[in-house]
Amino acid sequence: MTRLHELQQRFQDYLIGTSEEVENDIISSENALAEYRLGAYYNACRIRLIDILALDYSAIEKYLGREAFENLALDYLRIYPSRHPSVRWFGQHLSEYLSDQYDREDSDFVTEIARFEWARGLVFDGEDANAIVQIEDMARVPPESWPNLRIKFIPALRWLDLYWNACPYAVALDNGETPPDRQHNEIPVRWLIWRRKHNPNWRSLEVHEAWAIEATQQGASFAELCEGLCEWISEDQVAMTAAGLLKQWVSDELVVRVEF
Amino acid sequence: MRATSDKPFLGFGLGLRTEHYQDILDTKPQQIDWLEIISENYMVDGGKPLYYLDAIRAHYPMVMHGVSMSLGSTDPLNYEYLKKLKKLINRVEPEWYSDHLCWTGIGHKNMHDLLPLPYTREAVDHLADRISRVQDYLGRQMLIENLSSYITYHADAMTEWEFLSTIAEKADCYLLLDVNNIYVSSFNHHFDPIEYLDGIPAQRVWQHHLAGHSNEGNLIIDTHDHDIIDPVWALYEETAKRLGPVSTMIERDGNIPPLSSVLEELEQARRIATPYYQ
Repeated sequence: MTRLHELQQRFQDYLIGTSEEVENDIISSENALAEYRLGAYYNACRIRLIDILALDYSAIEKYLGREAFENLALDYLRIYPSRHPSVRWFGQHLSEYLSDQYDREDSDFVTEIARFEWARGLVFDGEDANAIVQIEDMARVPPESWPNLRIKFIPALRWLDLYWNACPYAVALDNGETPPDRQHNEIPVRWLIWRRKHNPNWRSLEVHEAWAIEATQQGASFAELCEGLCEWISEDQVAMTAAGLLKQWVSDELVVRVEF
Repeated sequence: MRATSDKPFLGFGLGLRTEHYQDILDTKPQQIDWLEIISENYMVDGGKPLYYLDAIRAHYPMVMHGVSMSLGSTDPLNYEYLKKLKKLINRVEPEWYSDHLCWTGIGHKNMHDLLPLPYTREAVDHLADRISRVQDYLGRQMLIENLSSYITYHADAMTEWEFLSTIAEKADCYLLLDVNNIYVSSFNHHFDPIEYLDGIPAQRVWQHHLAGHSNEGNLIIDTHDHDIIDPVWALYEETAKRLGPVSTMIERDGNIPPLSSVLEELEQARRIATPYYQ
């Protein structure tokens, strides 16, 4: 180990809070002792990362209040120190932390808010789509090609299965509105989160649409969608329902390519 | 390529911040000659950051400024990071790219702070070698920036300006001289900022940063959340006298005012420096 490496190790241990040995390496002046000077770094590192986490998880900060959020952020930092060059990824493990380490009666609820807020961030700067399919593009599909029609979704799309009403709750907090009462469902609701015109969008899905989106993502054709949707929709209505879903997805700007 | 006296001069620019995206696109202010982006903010897959980057790049020359290269770290260079940086350089086609003379963490941890290095021969060799390897990988020379610092080490064997100059010569890179950082560090470590300026190789200085800071009494902290203070403007005038035309930009990272207010500061920089550029 080089002297430089050893010095950096002592400095980093100080910043992490495991050793104060580096104080011996630092020059004190009359008006600013080594401890005081090092404190500027110790505090700045923490404040910066707490603020970053608060930007990514603004609803959780509002839900918990600043002081509790700061304590949470510091404990999270202790367990999940940043390992990425960009602070953009510092908060990526927060839902794991909340699920595994956060000892509160509402930790399941807070975990789901975290999952929603992180997913929203991921679609915000997720991969761009080359071009969005428009309704007029769908009209050009010949009737005989519809059974084999396959669509491809935009890359900036994710879904979450949530037991709690975490999405409307988080959005209300972010908008400065009174959030709804916390509500738990026995069966999780699937929430679709995607980017539309540069901004994250989200909506809940009925079971049949949730299945259809997942099947489409896995490459199902229109005929296969219709067949699968018969689980929930009567046979005489299924083609109309499937076509309605496709139209909805196109108008939501979810579709990037149509193959037939 | 060795440094020459015919260094590029872009004029007077700003750090591009999200708060000003739409205003810049709507009004395309002529007072802004160029813009500096924080590279890491655009090392993403898509969405709004890259949309605005491309839209604004179409109207202004840009330079790229990084905060995460961790040139001084004793960890191996992060080639995954450099690969992403190279991709962004290809997209932006900047006039140049820069990062700081610092380290940000070891053991694959990142403190996300610009941590100072000891001014030793060992650190000079370490830095020069890594800067050379970065320049080889990216296929072009870089600029390295002096820090604001709050500590100095017992191990220091030279002044900061000797450290900076020696590394720049040895790695054959250029300098981003942050005038506010010189002021801040001169206050915190009781040195003469003019002596600092006189110790810097003028032909290697391609860019200046100007910014505000927070004075906490015994230490000044480089917060970029205030207007530039008069002593920093005075020091900037001294740099203009000594170094001649150097592309200058204003950094603002907190308490960000409307674009018009930052443009007024930019005009002040222009008024101060331009008479010395004749």
